[in-house]
Amino acid sequence: MALLTPYSKVPELNTATVLLVENEEELQSKLANAIVQYEKHFNVNVRLARKLPLPVENKETRPRIDLIVFIVNLLSERSLQSVESSLAHLHSDCFLGKVCFLVTDARCGSHTQERLVSVRKLAASHQCPVLCAEHRTAEGVNAAAVRLLNILKVTAGMSPIATTALYLSSLTRCSVTSDLDED
Amino acid sequence: MTPAPSKQTEMDQDSQPSEVAAKAVLLEECEEQFGLLQKLQNEIILADTEANDDQSNEAVNRLIAVTSELEQWQEMEPKLLTTSPDVLLAVGKEELQRLNSQLKMVLSCSQAKLDAQEKILKREQTWQAEKKEALNAVCEKITRLQRENEKSEHSVLQDMKRKINNLKDYHSSLMEMLSDMLAEHFPLPDPQGNGTKKKRAAAYDAEINLISLSEIIERLTNKTLETSHDPYVTTDDTFWPPYTEMLLRNGIATRHPEDCNKIRLENFF
Repeated sequence: MALLTPYSKVPELNTATVLLVENEEELQSKLANAIVQYEKHFNVNVRLARKLPLPVENKETRPRIDLIVFIVNLLSERSLQSVESSLAHLHSDCFLGKVCFLVTDARCGSHTQERLVSVRKLAASHQCPVLCAEHRTAEGVNAAAVRLLNILKVTAGMSPIATTALYLSSLTRCSVTSDLDED
Repeated sequence: MTPAPSKQTEMDQDSQPSEVAAKAVLLEECEEQFGLLQKLQNEIILADTEANDDQSNEAVNRLIAVTSELEQWQEMEPKLLTTSPDVLLAVGKEELQRLNSQLKMVLSCSQAKLDAQEKILKREQTWQAEKKEALNAVCEKITRLQRENEKSEHSVLQDMKRKINNLKDYHSSLMEMLSDMLAEHFPLPDPQGNGTKKKRAAAYDAEINLISLSEIIERLTNKTLETSHDPYVTTDDTFWPPYTEMLLRNGIATRHPEDCNKIRLENFF
């Protein structure tokens, strides 16, 4: 099975690549535009996908992916399910700091709260950070883009202070507190 | 991996012609690092293809990765990028400025957090004070209720005695006030009042034994309370007529329906 591995390719100079995986393809393009607009100091490649595994045809031309962002829309059940199935196609080394979860619509109702809890549990089991984003306004998209860029800089090795992706993910990983567990 | 991109940015900055030598040095170092990177990458690819699918527990994986990274950091010694002072100056300036702005952000952020916490503290303190007051009030009420509930017969008796005494005191004070008021405002008619000699003489005889208004009222109340089946008091010459008339007209006393010389205290509800 072709797994997405983190370190199988040589990184390019002054470039970072982020892969946005979203089932609904709503936020992907907006976020991609915002990210590319924001970053002036180095090149950012944004690749979009609906789910993993990525198509085999592009395998050779695809650059090394520094950060994989799973976008989960909490209003639809299938979003979370597709993310869960995509997670199986990732090499386990990816979870050492190269995966991040982005949830949208976290405030819109009771079902979203349950799904948010399950996303957080999923993220906590893989020890990855969870970001909440608001995708309906431009400011929300820009804010999400800035946050992702911060994480991307670290995972691509652009941060000159001694921060590595693993370290950052240990700091920012999602933790599920005990009262969530007792729910 | 880390030095390569940052050196690129430095190269963009050092555009002065006198820095060509420094640029060359930097480029060389970049090439060196890139060669190292390629070597490492090849090793990784080999290792990957050999030990693939080692998808054991993620936590174990993480532990191994973290400990190996820790060892790396402990071994690594900090070294300068290059010994060229201009490069170092440029890099240093940029770094310090960035650090400065980041620290300013951190400062304002922590200030805001501090203010928020202080507000919360104040609010919680006022809440606590209110709750303490409520607690005190409730405790007092509890002790009061407990005391009341602990009534034995003895204390009921004591309560009753106390109440009776209070009422007696009140009653006596009322009586005192009443007699004072009556003595002040309704005195016995003056034997040396105005009038002709003749009237005076006639009146004087009749007024020797006049009783005061308080005496009249006393007689009426005593008759009513003691012999309630026959509360009538016979008026005679000892009753000064104006006073009886006043009592009758003000509704304090009424006549007997058949005998006009008898009066009694009016019912009060």
